[in-house]
Amino acid sequence: RKKENFPPDVSDGPLVSVPPPSSQLDTRDKLWRLHSALEQCHSLLERAIAKEEEELGGEEKGEYENRRKTVKDRLLFLLNHTRELLRAADGSSIFTPSLDGSELDDPATLFQLKWWVYRIFMEVKYWSQTAIAVLQELQSDTAKTPSKLSKRSARR
Amino acid sequence: MPHLPNSPTAKPNYSSVWVAFVLLGISAINTQAKIAITVPQQVSLSANFSTQQLSISWLGGEATTFDLIILRTEFNETVFYDTVSAVLNQDGGQHQWTWTSVEPLECTSLSLKVRSREGKTISEWSEPQILEGRDLPNSVKSMFPQDRTVPVGANTTFCCIVQEGKDFKSILYGSTVMNVKRLSRRSYATTAVNQNISGNSGTNVVCLSNDPSSLTGTVIFVGYPPLLSKFECETRDLIIAECQWEEGRSTNLYRKNATRYSVNERDCPERRRCTLSQWDGNWTLLAVNPLGQYSLTDSAEVSHRVHPVAPVKLTPVAHAWNATVLWEWAYSSYSSLALVCQVELASHNTMLGNFSGVGLRSAVLLDLQPDEEYKVQVRCGSQKNFWKWGDWSKALSFKTKPYVPDAPDVWMWMNRDNTGLVVWKPLTRRQSHGQIVGYKVTLWNSEENEQHTEILSPESKVLPVNLTRWASFSGDNKVIATVIAKNVEGMSQPASVLLHLIDDEPPALAQTVYTSTGFPLSWQHNDNSTCGYLVEWCNALCTRDCPVDWIRLDAGNTNISVQSADFQPGVRYNFSLYSCPSDFPVLTHRWQGYMQELAPSSSVRLEITQQGCDVVLTWEEIPLAGRRGFLLGYNVYISNGSHLTRLANLDLGTRTYTKKGLSVSIHKFTVKAYTSAGEDTGGTASIRLESCDGLILEILASLGMVTFLLATVAYFCYKKRRWVKKAFYPDIPEPKLPGDWFRTQGPLDVKPPPHSMVHIIEKPERDSSKDSLVVIPEEEEDDGEGIGDEPVDTDEPQLLRYYNQVVDERPIRPRFPDSSVSSSSSVDSANTDVTYTGIQTSCSSLVFLSDSQCSSEGFQPHTGFSVSSGDRGGGYQPQMQPVALGGNLASPEPLVEPQVVSSGGYKPQSSWLLDSPTETDEKISPPPSLGSPTSVASTQFLLPDSEEHEEERRQPSSLAAAWFTNLLSSAKP
Repeated sequence: RKKENFPPDVSDGPLVSVPPPSSQLDTRDKLWRLHSALEQCHSLLERAIAKEEEELGGEEKGEYENRRKTVKDRLLFLLNHTRELLRAADGSSIFTPSLDGSELDDPATLFQLKWWVYRIFMEVKYWSQTAIAVLQELQSDTAKTPSKLSKRSARR
Repeated sequence: MPHLPNSPTAKPNYSSVWVAFVLLGISAINTQAKIAITVPQQVSLSANFSTQQLSISWLGGEATTFDLIILRTEFNETVFYDTVSAVLNQDGGQHQWTWTSVEPLECTSLSLKVRSREGKTISEWSEPQILEGRDLPNSVKSMFPQDRTVPVGANTTFCCIVQEGKDFKSILYGSTVMNVKRLSRRSYATTAVNQNISGNSGTNVVCLSNDPSSLTGTVIFVGYPPLLSKFECETRDLIIAECQWEEGRSTNLYRKNATRYSVNERDCPERRRCTLSQWDGNWTLLAVNPLGQYSLTDSAEVSHRVHPVAPVKLTPVAHAWNATVLWEWAYSSYSSLALVCQVELASHNTMLGNFSGVGLRSAVLLDLQPDEEYKVQVRCGSQKNFWKWGDWSKALSFKTKPYVPDAPDVWMWMNRDNTGLVVWKPLTRRQSHGQIVGYKVTLWNSEENEQHTEILSPESKVLPVNLTRWASFSGDNKVIATVIAKNVEGMSQPASVLLHLIDDEPPALAQTVYTSTGFPLSWQHNDNSTCGYLVEWCNALCTRDCPVDWIRLDAGNTNISVQSADFQPGVRYNFSLYSCPSDFPVLTHRWQGYMQELAPSSSVRLEITQQGCDVVLTWEEIPLAGRRGFLLGYNVYISNGSHLTRLANLDLGTRTYTKKGLSVSIHKFTVKAYTSAGEDTGGTASIRLESCDGLILEILASLGMVTFLLATVAYFCYKKRRWVKKAFYPDIPEPKLPGDWFRTQGPLDVKPPPHSMVHIIEKPERDSSKDSLVVIPEEEEDDGEGIGDEPVDTDEPQLLRYYNQVVDERPIRPRFPDSSVSSSSSVDSANTDVTYTGIQTSCSSLVFLSDSQCSSEGFQPHTGFSVSSGDRGGGYQPQMQPVALGGNLASPEPLVEPQVVSSGGYKPQSSWLLDSPTETDEKISPPPSLGSPTSVASTQFLLPDSEEHEEERRQPSSLAAAWFTNLLSSAKP
């Protein structure tokens, strides 16, 4: 935001589409919701990188490109871990939500591309922090009732 | 023309016809004008949004100029209004004109009208034509222009169209809030002027409204059009053309805006080079980007642009002193090409050699070193029409074969006992020509043809020798040491040195001062000598089997600057110059010097002793090892609390120092030697200074003697007290005055003549000849001072002082209780040193008054010389002025008042005559009188003559002796 001089008080709607958070959701649902969001983030980020390279990519790779790759790798790492957790809990195949059709439209202008990439990074940041909270909650639940998750999974 | 009848009534008809013609003409003109100025028809607009240009075409009839007016439709603001000369399109007969808008055409709707103009004649406006903007009611929030690329320094106008029902807030250019102009109800514009170069991803221009849920903006790229230089084409294989160029300036535009290159209309995918499959001979480079284009041309024949490739497959053929390098070419076409090749040979240093030939494939390298690693590279160029050097080949390493070593550099060190060292410098890699396997040293006595041989290891560089072991060796015999180095290829040439003691009488050591280039040594050249020289040096501390270093010089050299990495600061080095070192070395010069002088590292050993009341410091020289520089002298300090106070700066030859006048206490001394670099830490010694016993003993002895003398005198006086009383304090007789003392009455004019003295008459029964007071003139004496106004009965102060001195200096003083008061009062007198003793009632020596009259009627003492007699006014009035003798007192007639007779004031003093004829003879005054008033209790002359006084001053001890003699003589019955 600082590099591109985006105003701080403007925020378009979310790019990631998941069910709204609710206190009624159990840990597995939260995990599924998190996994879905991270999946969308990863997909969006890959598209953003590709588009950015197409429209704004230069011959030389700088610090921004290196950090962007690091974010993508860590996001993929987090995504794989949530997938493994879901498999361990449910055992079934993971449903991956498809992105909303409107979001698939590529930005028409360079400014829209920049703003779109920025919003994707904000989504990644938000869902990374959410992942921390969910995983910590999951860890505390597991400590309290070690077999709770597996039992509830079996009950489903 | 119609024919008209000739009648008289016809005349008025002529004028009316004329008027009718005029009117008809005017009417015709008006009709023609109305026909030519027609309203433009079929006005059409064609907008180019990217270039912000609006093309207008219309049918304008015969008119050549037109008025155009362009308004913002919504606010009806005029954007453009001018008269233009439109171009007539010959095909359709339409007029065309193009207008470039400052603002993007999308910003708001524009209305355009045209009218024809002929001079000041204008037609009606055409129907307005409207170019719709994007600020229509159903349009969304947007910003224009999008993704524009402009040159550095350009001005760009941006507009933002806000959504229906939303309020505009601001436009940011980067982070700068811009000034905004409202174009329509929903459209706002701003202009960025003189734009700076943008970042890699362009500059964002953002439109902010009160709708925080969406962000609208655009990106603008600011850069430069292409600028190129150094475009040239060459060939590597004599067929293909390879063209290269350089970018003179970065355009700052990338990706879609990046510069596209083409050579001879063939696209070049690379930025700075392009390969063409054939040699065209003429080339044109064209560079294009959104901001412009740039082109360069080049032309050349193929033989003039040969840039050879690197030679390949280099192969060495090495020997001990030379080698041959072979190589191949990648293209067979080079076989007929005249080439010049450069061979770079690197070992310890790098050398370049040039070789040439048609299709050159080898080079012979000479002057190589045996057993040496070499690295070689080759590059070539066209020998004819040289264009540029080709690429360097890959480096090839090879090693030459070994060879016999060079002869070592041999020298010797001889001790005074005919032992010594044969030393040689280890052969360097370049001298050894291979691995050294050992040294062979032979000692040969030429006289006896006797020799010893020793084989030494390769690490050896010295052989101790003891010539005394040789039975036949004597001081005159010559022993030659020969050293031979040996490696895998064989033995070196022998190197010899003559062994004998050289420095029987070594030359004096001169000082040499180190410079940045070393120790400078210079000497006179012996023209008869054809020998070379050898300069040898070693640490000056070394005296036996010293590890010498040396350097050989050719004949004719007269100076050298000796430099060595082994030189250390603070170390003294001795340098020796030998002539003919190889045949018969002769030591001719010697020097010594320091690479860098330091302060001495050791201090003097200070010894301190007390001699009498003085303190003597002594010390020895600092050893050579501790000097670390040429000593310049010594500084002597005394410790004063925490700091040192320098007492003396002594030269180098002085190593003792005596300090006098010190108090009895503990004293601490420090002696520091110094060089040009500073002082050492100093040698320190303390001493407790004892009292000087001899002086005290002398003082005590003197005091004891004085005490003994006083006791003796006191005892004597006690034993002889009766005599003393008679001698010093007899009964005072009444004065008997000769003549008529009382002839004149009245106040006495007290002006005694100079040099008159009072002759004191002793008691009649003792000496009848002296029973009268007589004024004795001394006419011979003429001091001339104080005559007239001087008080009477005074004496010279010198004489008085003399008297006092005598009295004061004498330890024995007559003690008479009756005279003590008078005496003490006289001593207390402020302005005279006269001591009057024994005079009890007299007021003046010449004026005899009652006690009450002494001070009032009699002589008034001079204020400056007042003699205090205290309350005892009847006491003796002392003489005041030594030379105030004159006036009336000079008269032989004594002036005595009658009262004086009755007064008991004056007591005639016992007249003392010196028994010593010498003293008597020396007096100038008449012998009968000593010229001094004398107290009755005094044994002294109050007024001795000046000469006598001087004499007596010079001999106080003799006077004391005389006095004592008189005393003894007087004591005799």
